[in-house]
Amino acid sequence: MRPFDLLQPKTTDEAIALLARHGSRACLLAGGTDLLVEIKEGIRAPDVLIDAKHLPGMRDLVVSSSEGLRFGALVTARELETSPAVKDFYHGLWQALRELGSIQVRNRATVAGNVCRASPSADTLPPLIADGAVVAIMGPAGERHVTLEDFFTGAGKTVLNGDEIVTGFSVPKPLPGTGKCYVKHGRRKAMELATVGVAVTMTMTGDTCSSIRIALGAVAPTPIRARKAEAVLAGKKPDIELIAQCGAIAATETSPISNIRGSADYRRRMVEELVQRAITAAMEAAR
Amino acid sequence: MSERQKFNVIGKSVKRSDMLEKVTGAARYAGDLTLPGMLHGKLKRCEIAHANIKRIDTSKALALAGVKAVLTHKDVPHVLHYGSPHPRSASVTKDQYILDTKVRYWGEAVAAVAATTEDIADEAIRLIEVEYEALPAAITLDDAMAAGAPVIHDNGLEGNRVVPDMLFKRGDVEKGFAEADIIIEGNYAVGRPQPAYMEPNVCVAQWDGSDKLTLWTSTQSAFMVRGTLAEVLGLPLGKVRVLCDHMGGGFGAKQDLFQHEFLCALLSRQTRRPVRMEYSRKECFLGGRSRHPGTIWLKQGFKRDGTITARAAKVVFDSGAYGSHAPGVTAVGASALTSLFRCENVHLEGKCVYTNTPIAGAFRGYGVVQTYYALDIQIDEAAEKLGMDPAELKLKTAVREGDIAPSGHAIVGHGLEDCIREGMKAVGWKERPVGCGSAAYRTVSPADGAVRADALPHPTSKKVRGWGIGCEMHGSSAYPGIKEQGNALVNLNEDGSATLLTGAAGLGTGAHTALCQIVAEELGLEFEAVSVVHGDTDIVPWDIGAFASHTTYMVGTAAKMAAAEIKQKLLARAADQLEVSAGDLEVEGGFIGVRGVPGRGISVRDCVAPKLGIPAAHLFGSGTYMPTKSYSFGAHFVEVEVDTGTGQIDVLQVVPVHEIGKVIHPIAAAGQIEGGIQQGIGHTLTENHEIDPKTGRSLNANFVDYKMPLSMDMPDIKTIILETAPDPGGPWGAKGVGEDPIIAIGPAIANAIYDATGVRFRHYPITPEQVLEGLARRRHV
Repeated sequence: MRPFDLLQPKTTDEAIALLARHGSRACLLAGGTDLLVEIKEGIRAPDVLIDAKHLPGMRDLVVSSSEGLRFGALVTARELETSPAVKDFYHGLWQALRELGSIQVRNRATVAGNVCRASPSADTLPPLIADGAVVAIMGPAGERHVTLEDFFTGAGKTVLNGDEIVTGFSVPKPLPGTGKCYVKHGRRKAMELATVGVAVTMTMTGDTCSSIRIALGAVAPTPIRARKAEAVLAGKKPDIELIAQCGAIAATETSPISNIRGSADYRRRMVEELVQRAITAAMEAAR
Repeated sequence: MSERQKFNVIGKSVKRSDMLEKVTGAARYAGDLTLPGMLHGKLKRCEIAHANIKRIDTSKALALAGVKAVLTHKDVPHVLHYGSPHPRSASVTKDQYILDTKVRYWGEAVAAVAATTEDIADEAIRLIEVEYEALPAAITLDDAMAAGAPVIHDNGLEGNRVVPDMLFKRGDVEKGFAEADIIIEGNYAVGRPQPAYMEPNVCVAQWDGSDKLTLWTSTQSAFMVRGTLAEVLGLPLGKVRVLCDHMGGGFGAKQDLFQHEFLCALLSRQTRRPVRMEYSRKECFLGGRSRHPGTIWLKQGFKRDGTITARAAKVVFDSGAYGSHAPGVTAVGASALTSLFRCENVHLEGKCVYTNTPIAGAFRGYGVVQTYYALDIQIDEAAEKLGMDPAELKLKTAVREGDIAPSGHAIVGHGLEDCIREGMKAVGWKERPVGCGSAAYRTVSPADGAVRADALPHPTSKKVRGWGIGCEMHGSSAYPGIKEQGNALVNLNEDGSATLLTGAAGLGTGAHTALCQIVAEELGLEFEAVSVVHGDTDIVPWDIGAFASHTTYMVGTAAKMAAAEIKQKLLARAADQLEVSAGDLEVEGGFIGVRGVPGRGISVRDCVAPKLGIPAAHLFGSGTYMPTKSYSFGAHFVEVEVDTGTGQIDVLQVVPVHEIGKVIHPIAAAGQIEGGIQQGIGHTLTENHEIDPKTGRSLNANFVDYKMPLSMDMPDIKTIILETAPDPGGPWGAKGVGEDPIIAIGPAIANAIYDATGVRFRHYPITPEQVLEGLARRRHV
C-alpha cells in the first residue's frame, strides 16, 4: 500500500485549514471502508489523509417522531441501523443501511462517507433524498446547508469545495400517515452493489396520496428524483393502474448505462417494476 | 461388501486433525512464509490479446531504488512445457514457455520484477516499457474457427485446434435415429466460471548454497511442480524441493504450473535471495484457469416408452490461449455422453480450439459439467414431449450394473437409480405441485396432473415456483486418460502411535483426516494415534496430485495397504510375545487381543515399546496402488422461485442424493456436496468471467462484478448420502465425492426454472434479464 501522511486535526477549523493547505493531495478519512480499499488498489493516491475521527460534535445522533433525525458525519451506518427510532420513522433509510456492505463494514462506514463518495449506486442516498435530507457543510466562510437532492453534480462529484467538510445531516420529521420503502435490485442477497435502487416516501391522507417523493439510484450519474412520476400520484387516490403508470413514467426519467451489472434497458424495466413495488409497500406502511 | 463390518473409526465424523490450527489461524499457508532478506516479485502483464513483442525496455525499472532483478523472455530458459502436471500424459498440451516473444491473451505476463517491497515492485512494473506488434486476435470460438482466422499456435492443426478432433462411437447411430419415435435436437452453450479459490496463487522460492531450489507453493500436485521445474530449469530432480502445507482451495486449477512459479524461482536464483510472489485477485482471473466455455450440439432419438435409441453430439470447447488440460477435458467431457442415460447408439465428436482469451484448465467436473448440463436438460425436454415425468424418464434410462461406463468399465451397482428413487421419496416428487403456480406461462399441460390450487402463489405476487431434477455420474481417478498411482508409507512408533507419510495434497477438503482414519481403522488404533506428514517432496512418497476425486479412493487404498503390512508384522510380533498363533489375534482400539479369550492380550504400545536393553520394534509398511476407476452417482432435486417481474431466480431448496460407496467421514463428504452446490448455483446463475469479444479484455476480474453466491444466497440443503454401490477398488468400497456435486446442480436448476416458468434455457449462466426476455417471448407465443 502506498504510504501517506496521516493528519489528525482536533477541531473543524483545523481540518478545514489542512484541507485548504493540501488541496487535491489530501483525502478526508472517516470510516475508510471505501477510501483505504481504493488506496490499496491504486485507484486513489493521496499523499495526505486528514482523519476526521477526532473532530468534535460529529458523533451525535438524535431521532424522534417529533424532532426528526439529526446525525453527525461520524455516526456509523451500524449506529443508525440499530436505532429503533430510525427503523420506525425512517424505514427506507433503515432498509438501505441493512443493504450496505456487511455488518463489519457498517461498523466502520459512515453515512457521510457514503454520501461524499457520491456513487450513483450508493444505497443510503435514495431514501435520504426521498426523506428530504439536508446536508450541513462547514467551510472557511462558515456553515452552509444544501439539500441532499442538490448535493450531487455527477458520478463521484458533489457541490463540496476542496476545503469544505460535511459535518452532519438533518432529516425532517415524518408527517402522520407516512410510509417509506427502499427496494434494492442486485444479483445477490447481501454484499451487493445496487443495479437499481428505489426509495419512496409517501404520505396518505385517507385514501389520497397527499405527498410522495420517489428517489432512484444507479440509473443516472447521480441519484435522482422521479418528479414526473411523483406528479402522477400526488393528490390522487392510488390504484393499480395509477401506480403502474407511475412506474412507467419513472422509467422514462432515468438515463441508465449498460454495463456488466445490467443493460440500460433492463435497468429501466426494473425502475418501472420496483417503483410500483416500493409505492405499494410504502402505501401499506402508511396505513 | 455384503457382509456387515463393524467400524471403529471410518464412517465417523472424527474431529479433523487440522481443525485447531485452522480456527486459531496458526495453520501456515505458502503465503504466510517470511524469510530473512525476502524480496517481493511482481509480473508485468500485457494489455493486448494477441501480439508480437517488438521491444521491452527495462532500464527505468532497473534504475528504481530497491529493484533487484527484472526478467524478460531474453533472460529465461526458452523451453516448451506442458504448463500442467502429469507431463507426457494424454491429458495436457505442451505449448507454453515461461515467457514467450509473443502474447496470446490479454493479461499474459511478459516480464517479472523482484524488489525489496511490493510497492517498489509494482512501481517497477509500471516503468517497464513494452512495444507490441499487434496481431489480429480471435476472441470467440467463431472467430477462431473461421476461415482465415489468425493462427494462435503453429502446431500444424487447422482451425486453431488444440488437438485433433476426437470421436467416441458405439453401435449404429443412423439406425438408432431411424428407429426413434421422436427426435430432439438442441444447441447448448456454457459460460466461463472461475474456481475463485480463497487462497490466491502464491509461492516463495529460495536457493541454498548447494544450488538447490526450495519452492513453497499453493499447489495440488507438488511432485508435478518439482518435475516440471526441474525439466524446464535444467535441474536434477534432487535439486528441487517443493513444499505445500495447508491450502485454501484449488478445485483442479492448481494442478497447473503458472508463470509466477517459474519466474519466482528464477528471480530468486538471480538475486540469491528468497522471493515471494502472490497473485492479486485480478491476476487469479487473468492468469488463472477457468472452466472451458463452449457449445454443445446434441441430438437424441427416443421411443415412445422413453428408450433412447440414438445420441449424437458435437462438443466444442474453448481452451483459451494455451492447451493446458484441453485434451483431457475434451475427451472426458465428450465421452461422458456415452453414459449417464443408457443409449446403445452414440456418435460423439469432441473439439477443442484456441482463442486469444485467458486459459481454461482443469476444474472440478472436468468437461462433464458442460456436457451433462446439455444431456440432462435434453432428457427433461424429451420427458415433456413424451408425456412422461422427468424423474421417471431419468430413472428408466439411468445407467446400471454392467453397463459400460465412459472409461470402458462395467458399472458396479445401481447407484444412479438408487439416487433418483431415494430423492423422489425424500421430496415427495410424485406429490409435488406440478407446474407450481406457473400455469399462466405454460402452453403444454403437465402430463401427470393439474396444477394444484394450493400451490398457486398469492394473487398479487409475481413469484412462481418449480421443481427440477438433475443427474450425474463421475469417476474417481483419471483412468484411462492417465494410469495413476497412489503411494503411502506408514511407520509405527514406539509408543504405539502411527505416522502416515503421503504426497497427497490437502486442498482444505479434510483428505488427510480421511487417510488417517483409514490407517487407524486398518491398524486397530484410535484415530488420534495416527498423525500425518505431507507436503514435502523430499520426504513423502511420490504422488501424482490431488485431483480427479481420487485421494480417498486411491491414496486411501494405498494407505490401507501400508497399514495392513504393519498390522501383519505387529501381530506376528505379538504372537511371539503372547505365545499364540498370529491368526488368533485381533487388534482394536490399540489393544491386541486373543480372539475368544477376553482380557488376554497386549497393548500395541507394549508390543512395540523398548524394554530393558531391547530397542523398540521398527515396524513400517508401504502401499502402492494403481487403480482403474470407479463411478459415483448423484441426483439433485431443486426447488426454485422465479420473480416474473424482475427475472430473479432464487434457489429455495436442494435435496442432493449421492451414492459414493463407503463413507469415510460423513461431515467432510456432506461439506463437499454443499460446497459443490454453492459453486454450481453460482455457475448456473451468476458467475461468468466476461471477456470483451472485441478486445479480449477481462470485464470483471474482481469479486465485485464476478458474483459468487454467499451464505445469504444459499438454499436449504438436505443432503442424503447412500452407500449402496461400493466399489471394490476403494478402501472398504469408498469412492470419490469431490467433483460429483457440482455437476447435477446446474441442469437441476435449469429444469426447475422451466417447471416454474415454461421458459427453457439451454445455456449458463441464466440471467434475470434473459428470464424476462424468455417470459416475454412466451407471452407472445
